[in-house]
Amino acid sequence: MAIFEFLTPMYLFLIFAGTLVGIIFGAIPGMTATMAVAVCLPLTYSLGLDNGMALLLGLYVGGISGGLVPAILLGIPGTPSSITTTFDGYPMAQRGEGEKALRIGIVGSLVGGLVSLTALFFFAPALAEFAIKFSYVEKFLIILFALTVMAALSEDMLLGIFSGFLGIFISLIGVYDVTDGGNGEYRLIPPGMEYWLDSGFSLLPVLIGLFGLATILEAAEAGMPKGQSMKDIEVGEHSRFKWSVFKGQITNLLRSAGIGTFVGILPGVGGSAASILSYTAAKTSSKDPDSFGKGNPAGIMASESGNNGLTGGALVPLLSLGIPGDSTTALLIGAFTLQGIQVGPLFIGNNPMTWDSMIVAMLLANIAMFGIMYFMIRWLALVVTIPKHILFPVILMMCVIGAYTINYGIMFDVWTLLIFGVAGWLFTKLGLEVAPFIIGFILGPAAEIYFVKSLESFGTLSIFFTKSWIAMLLWVLIIGSVVGSIMLARRKSAMSRPVA
Amino acid sequence: MADLLKVSIDFDTSHLIFPRLIGIILLLLGLVIVIRNRRALAGSGAMWSQTFQQMDKIRFFGTLALTIIYFLLMVPIGDLWPNTGLGFLICSIPFVLLISILYMHERTPRAMIPVLIVSVVAPTLVWWLFTYVFALTLP
Repeated sequence: MAIFEFLTPMYLFLIFAGTLVGIIFGAIPGMTATMAVAVCLPLTYSLGLDNGMALLLGLYVGGISGGLVPAILLGIPGTPSSITTTFDGYPMAQRGEGEKALRIGIVGSLVGGLVSLTALFFFAPALAEFAIKFSYVEKFLIILFALTVMAALSEDMLLGIFSGFLGIFISLIGVYDVTDGGNGEYRLIPPGMEYWLDSGFSLLPVLIGLFGLATILEAAEAGMPKGQSMKDIEVGEHSRFKWSVFKGQITNLLRSAGIGTFVGILPGVGGSAASILSYTAAKTSSKDPDSFGKGNPAGIMASESGNNGLTGGALVPLLSLGIPGDSTTALLIGAFTLQGIQVGPLFIGNNPMTWDSMIVAMLLANIAMFGIMYFMIRWLALVVTIPKHILFPVILMMCVIGAYTINYGIMFDVWTLLIFGVAGWLFTKLGLEVAPFIIGFILGPAAEIYFVKSLESFGTLSIFFTKSWIAMLLWVLIIGSVVGSIMLARRKSAMSRPVA
Repeated sequence: MADLLKVSIDFDTSHLIFPRLIGIILLLLGLVIVIRNRRALAGSGAMWSQTFQQMDKIRFFGTLALTIIYFLLMVPIGDLWPNTGLGFLICSIPFVLLISILYMHERTPRAMIPVLIVSVVAPTLVWWLFTYVFALTLP
């Protein structure tokens, strides 16, 4: 059939290879889906658009999914969007349920990927039309909402909020970018550091430092506890994966996938926000919210379904508006540019074959991801059995490589890794929360642009309340999340208070 | 009331608006935290002293020292053979080896064999992959 002309052995091989390589990139802390796409982007020069996209989409799906492996087995998120997978996945692995946790995450990833793909295929034009209605005001409020929901995830709400705002503050270091509508002026840079901090601290070295180096420093401080053996993963019947674990979780899976897809559609609100919103929704709607963060499988399902839901969602604004939904899809614009194709409102109509090819590639990449990860789980789980004195030095070296190569060779990024590694260790000592800090750091620059542009356009703070019904609805959600967090904290403190 | 909410943005100073706002929020939150946690803060000296006493100082400070030396040497050594990534390779092998030895619990000759193999193979493989397959320039 002519419509499946792109289905060649090479196309299928590239999807499989891309997914496998993506999983490996995602599974190694410090290497991400973004990096996988970035380093393989030059390969698409010679592949043509359909085959090139098959490779890159495989890398994207694999990279996002692979992040769950170190998140569960080591407590280090392989990708930023796996942060919330560590909350319940790592405690499960620590009590000998690593394999079960991994399989739960893999199935969650597949559901998230397929739901978002369905949304991309059927609802792309309508959803894009909705997202395009969001002005700076609504975009700012969405970020504010994402930040306030972080409070629900924090052990100490006040310190969690403080950490989130600290993340925003650190993210503002550097120049107020002209390309984003700023005035090109420096701020918050110590004298003499303008050259290094022109664009502020790079996200990836900050993430690798906080989640990679800081974790290793904590282990070193504790005297480097001995690693687990394969026996720890397989011990006991309770560690075996059973499909019955998904009983009663269909709503959680579909809701998380839906949230991930929706967040993906909103330009600039990335995978971390998707997984955090999904996780919070699962936690707040659970009959047993206190079990979250202590090894509840529903938390892994929410997180992984949410972050894989992002994959299809992030392609909606890219393919219909030319606006990338996240950093990885931003790189896909580079691939289109290499082929001389402009993505925008006319893309799907003008390139029906490529549109079909991308949808099929996403579908096959999700199936390949599930097949590779589900049936190779024991190989992937072997990461845990490697002694810490062998694994951690290699991870340290990989962290350096990841930090150095993300901006194609800037040594300051390597020092950033060290700075934030030590900062991450200090955070645990001071009781500050790393996850809200990271969310603040990721969303800070966009929040600034949307906030300042809103005021420049309308000249009054009241616009944040009166702009549209969407803005008002978002305020209801923001206030609801704050009040919910306070009530949750009070309930927690009342329950922990000793009975007289 | 409407006048109170009016804000006029001067483009020349627009880069300071958001950082100032976040700075003020941080100060206020910090103040509330200091007031609420005043007792814990008063005892923070004891907390740090206890942390320092309990920590594995050799492994913790050893990691920091070796990492700093690794970062400092990588570029000057790499500059001897520009654009080859040899600075990374030459520094990574002893770095991985020394960190491994630092983290080991039983430093027996038998336990050293995999450590030595990984210390040579892992950096070499990574260097080859990034230099020749991904064509990325390492230090």
